[in-house]
Amino acid sequence: MTNKSSTGPAQHGTVLETGGHIGTQIETRSKVSNPLLTLSGISKTFPGVHALQDVSLSLWAGEVHMLMGENGAGKSTLMKVMCGAYEPDAGEFRRDGIRVEVRNGADARRLGVAVIFQEFSLVPYLNIAQNIFLGREPMRCLPGIIDHQRMHRDAREVLKRLDFDVDTHAMVASLGVAQQQLVEIAKALSQHARILVLDEPTAALSDRESERLFKIIADLKAEGVAMAYISHRMEEVFELGDRVSILRDGKLVASMPASQAMPNELVALMVGRKVDMAYTRDARPQPGRTVLEVKELAAANGVHDISMKVRAGEIVGLAGLVGSGRTELARAIFGVDPVTKGEVLVNGKEFRAGPPEARECGMAFIPENRKLEGLALERTVGDNLLMAAMPRCFPKGWYIPAHANKLARDIIGQLRISTRGPHTRAQMLSGGSQQKIVIGKWLLDDAQLFIFDEPTRGIDVGAKEQIFELIDGLVRQGRAVLMISSEIGEIIRVCDRAYVMKDKTIAGHLERGDLDEAKLVRLAVHRD
Amino acid sequence: MLFGLIVIFSLTAKDFASSANVWNVGTQATLLLLLALPMTLVILTEGLDLSMGAVLSLCTVILASVDIASGSLGLGLGAALAVGITFGVLNGWLVAWMGVTPFVATLGTMGLAQGLALVATEGRETVGVTAELRSLWEGHWVGLPIPIVGALVAYVLLHVVLYHTRFGARVIALGGNREALRLAGLNVNWYLMLVYVIAGVCVAVSAMLLTARINGGNASAAIGMEFDAIAAVLVGGTSFTSGRGGLLGSLFGVLTVSVLRNGLNLLALQASVQVAAVGLLVIVALAIDARAGKV
Repeated sequence: MTNKSSTGPAQHGTVLETGGHIGTQIETRSKVSNPLLTLSGISKTFPGVHALQDVSLSLWAGEVHMLMGENGAGKSTLMKVMCGAYEPDAGEFRRDGIRVEVRNGADARRLGVAVIFQEFSLVPYLNIAQNIFLGREPMRCLPGIIDHQRMHRDAREVLKRLDFDVDTHAMVASLGVAQQQLVEIAKALSQHARILVLDEPTAALSDRESERLFKIIADLKAEGVAMAYISHRMEEVFELGDRVSILRDGKLVASMPASQAMPNELVALMVGRKVDMAYTRDARPQPGRTVLEVKELAAANGVHDISMKVRAGEIVGLAGLVGSGRTELARAIFGVDPVTKGEVLVNGKEFRAGPPEARECGMAFIPENRKLEGLALERTVGDNLLMAAMPRCFPKGWYIPAHANKLARDIIGQLRISTRGPHTRAQMLSGGSQQKIVIGKWLLDDAQLFIFDEPTRGIDVGAKEQIFELIDGLVRQGRAVLMISSEIGEIIRVCDRAYVMKDKTIAGHLERGDLDEAKLVRLAVHRD
Repeated sequence: MLFGLIVIFSLTAKDFASSANVWNVGTQATLLLLLALPMTLVILTEGLDLSMGAVLSLCTVILASVDIASGSLGLGLGAALAVGITFGVLNGWLVAWMGVTPFVATLGTMGLAQGLALVATEGRETVGVTAELRSLWEGHWVGLPIPIVGALVAYVLLHVVLYHTRFGARVIALGGNREALRLAGLNVNWYLMLVYVIAGVCVAVSAMLLTARINGGNASAAIGMEFDAIAAVLVGGTSFTSGRGGLLGSLFGVLTVSVLRNGLNLLALQASVQVAAVGLLVIVALAIDARAGKV
């Protein structure tokens, strides 16, 4: 696939010529001269990350525009820009060809944009009807008083469309995830929007509920609603999509009529870049004894039927899409979330208790959100490094500043943490250095098994390589590493083998020889 | 828990179940209810108002002085309302626009109100308010004590506000999922501000009753009452996070705290013991709640 130019309204000409069998759309289009909503040149930067770079996209009446991309490719950021939750740094919006400003949610709503969010925008202790009409409650003639009767009647009507039979007086907090998703869908539908953005709406739904949603989407299409549909599921792209666009690293890399797209091509476009980075590792010695063994594990957080092994001297990847259960698995192994079935063996001994015991066993968990869970940002580098290892470094119970200083300096040198010294506050350091502190903290505690959750999230490219070298160093010293990553390229470059998760269980296992991007994506994405 | 306390005190304290005492508890509870109701709204937004007791004291001082000086109850009430609303606006502004955490913001305004009250009175009590004002505590209206009528009206009004207006739904959403409000294109700051202003108004109204009861203004008349109000709200099942809870729970919380204090009073235990008992009540109530997995 060579279609790598950015897509804008100009490119629609090609669609008209090529998409012969989507005749109905061509007719609509020839009558309407402009797309309902056009985004052009949208860029959005967060500290250290170009979340979106010069993205252009058109949504046409009666068309479902599928958006695909790996985790972190910028799909959700794009969606948040469309609904006014983020203000883009550059770029413009056009509604029916006329330039408009979208600064906040109210602006987007005025333009007729409604969003079905994946992370629910629901209020737990309001009832279903109140949630559906939050901010738009029907009023009685008396100013400010809500017409509850009408609100519940309208809510029932929308829910009926979804075949969702429920008492609209029920609190959202009492609903399950799938039911909450249905309420979220009802909330967007009730706005009678002209432009509907759907962020993986079927991720939490059963097949029957999904089918129902697809029928509604078909109805909306006939009514001339324009839809942007974010999905990871290949079959949805071909079942629903009129057009598919692919985002990678914040850029729109391709856009084509769905009828012309091939599944393999789409996967290739999503994965994109060849492995071209500096880090290539020398062969590591054969792995040694099994450090971690998980047998038919199930946990309260939903992961189930998990069996896996991690040996000393190897890096094992844990791949999968967001929500596939990777972090949940790590939490269950580490004893944060309760295990309901099966067992976790560390060095051959059964382990089933909380984090303190996991630490005793020599397990280290480096969480994804290091700022929240792994570091005390206000404290110094030295304090952070010694946090976990206090009892080990000071066996007599007295804190000796000079000794602490020396230990901290050793680790700083060993990990090449760029800081002026142990007395700098952790907050002042770059993301890469902060990550090193978290790793150093566990090194001091003499951990044998490291579980990394997205170790390079929010770290710039140069520092990433250093983190990889560091992880490589850990296993060369005979430690075992389990690494969760959403970046497929990273898994392939760094890991000796990988487990792929999907729907809260292990969907497949790839040995070194089999470890390539296409196989990995297929396991993570496909439904068969 | 309320039921248990009533049984215990009926058995141990001689006059507890007498009709005079029941009316007494009911009337005393009105002051606390007038603070606990708006405190419920504040806590639903994941906020806190520590300044209530101090602002209430300041209001009694202002109300009593203006009432005595001018002989006009209306003027006094207006002054007290102005003070209450000013502090409400100040709290709301600090919390919503300045982004100060509610604990810190209202701790600051608590000190401010306390200091102003002391300056205004030079540490002395202001006594001898007009008979008109005094009758607000002692008087009856269609057979019910005026404080009880006032508290019931406040309850009904706030119930309507919280459960039957857009504003009320937003108050619950502020604590439950503030992001949902932003995504719906609503400016949350004004709602936060309004919640604290409602608290200020309620404080001024309760100042009216308190001044009438103690026949004057006192810079330390209501010190620590915010503690009882927060206790009542927590005992009533409102949560500091997630927007869970409601007014009915707080009503029961107020009755529980009032019965507890009254019962201990009849058993001739000191005020200091009562404070400790209320603290214990909160701990027990929240521990039971946590055990049930609800907090």
